[in-house]
Amino acid sequence: MKSQIPNPKSQILIAAAFIVALGLNVFAHPSTMLGVPRAEAEGQGRGAPPGRPGGPPTSARAAAPFDPTGYWVAIISEDWRWRMVTPAKGDVVSIPLSPEGLRVAEAWDPAKDEGAGEQCKAYGAPGLMRGPTRLHITWQDDNTLKIESDYGTQTRLLRFVGAAEAGRAGARTWQGVTTAQWTMATGGGRGRGGARHGSIKSVTTQLRPGYLRKNGVPYSDRAVFTEYWDLHVETNGDQYLVDTNLVEDPVYLQTPWITSLHFKKEPDGNKWDPTSCDARF
Amino acid sequence: MRALVVVFAVLAFSVPAYAQIELTGSYSPILYEDYIERGPGSDLGDFTGMPLTDEGRAKGLLYTSNLPSTIERQCLAQAPWVLQYRPLGMRIWSEVDKDDKVIAWKIEGDYLRDTLTIWMDGRPEPSPNALSTAAGFSTGKWEGDTLTIHTTHVKTTWIRRGNGIPASDQTTYWVHITRHDDLLTVVTIQEDPFYLSEPHVVSRVFKFDPRANQGGRSICNTANEIPRLEDSGIVPHYLPGQNPEADFMTRTYNLPKEAALGYAESLYPEFRHKLKGLYTPPAACGRYCCGWIERQGLPGAAPGLACNDGGLGDLHPVVRSKSEEGKPAPVKK
Repeated sequence: MKSQIPNPKSQILIAAAFIVALGLNVFAHPSTMLGVPRAEAEGQGRGAPPGRPGGPPTSARAAAPFDPTGYWVAIISEDWRWRMVTPAKGDVVSIPLSPEGLRVAEAWDPAKDEGAGEQCKAYGAPGLMRGPTRLHITWQDDNTLKIESDYGTQTRLLRFVGAAEAGRAGARTWQGVTTAQWTMATGGGRGRGGARHGSIKSVTTQLRPGYLRKNGVPYSDRAVFTEYWDLHVETNGDQYLVDTNLVEDPVYLQTPWITSLHFKKEPDGNKWDPTSCDARF
Repeated sequence: MRALVVVFAVLAFSVPAYAQIELTGSYSPILYEDYIERGPGSDLGDFTGMPLTDEGRAKGLLYTSNLPSTIERQCLAQAPWVLQYRPLGMRIWSEVDKDDKVIAWKIEGDYLRDTLTIWMDGRPEPSPNALSTAAGFSTGKWEGDTLTIHTTHVKTTWIRRGNGIPASDQTTYWVHITRHDDLLTVVTIQEDPFYLSEPHVVSRVFKFDPRANQGGRSICNTANEIPRLEDSGIVPHYLPGQNPEADFMTRTYNLPKEAALGYAESLYPEFRHKLKGLYTPPAACGRYCCGWIERQGLPGAAPGLACNDGGLGDLHPVVRSKSEEGKPAPVKK
């Protein structure tokens, strides 16, 4: 009877083939590295994604599964009356305010904000993103995504590396300090050589107290603003950037305020229209 | 030996058969956007945020809320993706073949919406002349962690609840469903050559919640809601130019008609230049002013929360006003 056990030379060849096969498969797989979800393997925001083992870290820009750069316009197809114009004082519908949040909202006084030089309270990150704005997104450097708005002329920085250092000073600003990470797709739709997919998860803290809504609906300096950014490319070439987000605030909200926003890509900056902060309109 | 080499070669150069994102489960709608529309119902004449054609606007203004009260329309199926505009949860599950390969995703319907079947097996779309159904015909594919769906072959319906914004049977949808942790973001991009002047894009968030949808809402019963209409042959409507609610948003919220009646230009930031001289906020909030959790009387509503609800207490179960501050909350009827 012929032996089923390969000879030693064959065993070495098989072992080598197995190692090569395993290695190729791991790198081909969009979701795992030896069973560990890639998002975890990439450090969950602890820095730039690592490159190939032994190689230099890959920058966030190089690791990007989609291109978020360009000009984007907010499509105000939802909550129009609360986003496009300033609603009446006390109109807090749909925001899960705490009693203290409601008290503060009902005490809104734009003249007081103007007098205090705080016309930009509705332009902090959680309020800004719901505003009627265009965004200009660029890479400030290999690991920092810069998001400028023409509405209120604000700048957000999504830091894939270095957020801790940026936040060390402790200063609270309208746009806060944002940590970002790529979350690579763990789902189907990609084989070797196919398109890569993923999203950005960003978390913003160190916010200066501001408004969720132009009519003085507040968030506190303890607010945490979490966003998931996805790109959808249509068959006709249209591109939509969707920002699913949560505002958590133990001071003024009873539960997280969860919404989603969508922006359409524009070919250029022809409609870019910078405006200054306005406490009333 | 040769067989083993072949096995390893195949292993090396194959694309792994990894699982797609699991969508199965029940999801609650998060009503923190467009609450009035999705909760108590849209105001008549509120077409804000809609890119309507002149025909769509005209048809919308023929509408009276008596229309869906007629017997033959009470159970008229709504659009397949009307879940974006309603307060109900949804239940998703997959259908698999004998090899456990997902051949379709299903989104359970309810008494006004048919169950959606999203075919994942690559089948072609039917002929343009094929039957339109309440659910339409949907195919899906994974793009990373996003399920992208194309829906065609739908019936003529109203897009939004209760104020007559129409959708023709030539409507098509691209839909993107993405799950982030417990949140499910559903983006619908609706196109309609008759009633929409550009794609209508809406994004909503649902939350995974095992208690969200218990089923049992599959039957729609009719009843004689307006006796004077019974067997009268009357089709309730307003004649063109005679809808008394056409200026409701102007009367109530100071919005110019150009803003309220669904012109596409009103969806974009530059429209604010037109609004700046025309709009002033109402002096006070007069309707639906409370935060939504308080309104629903759900667990989690903060005790002692007070707000001006504009005197709508007869319509809604939990209402507190300034004058009621400090009193116990009314019992939900």
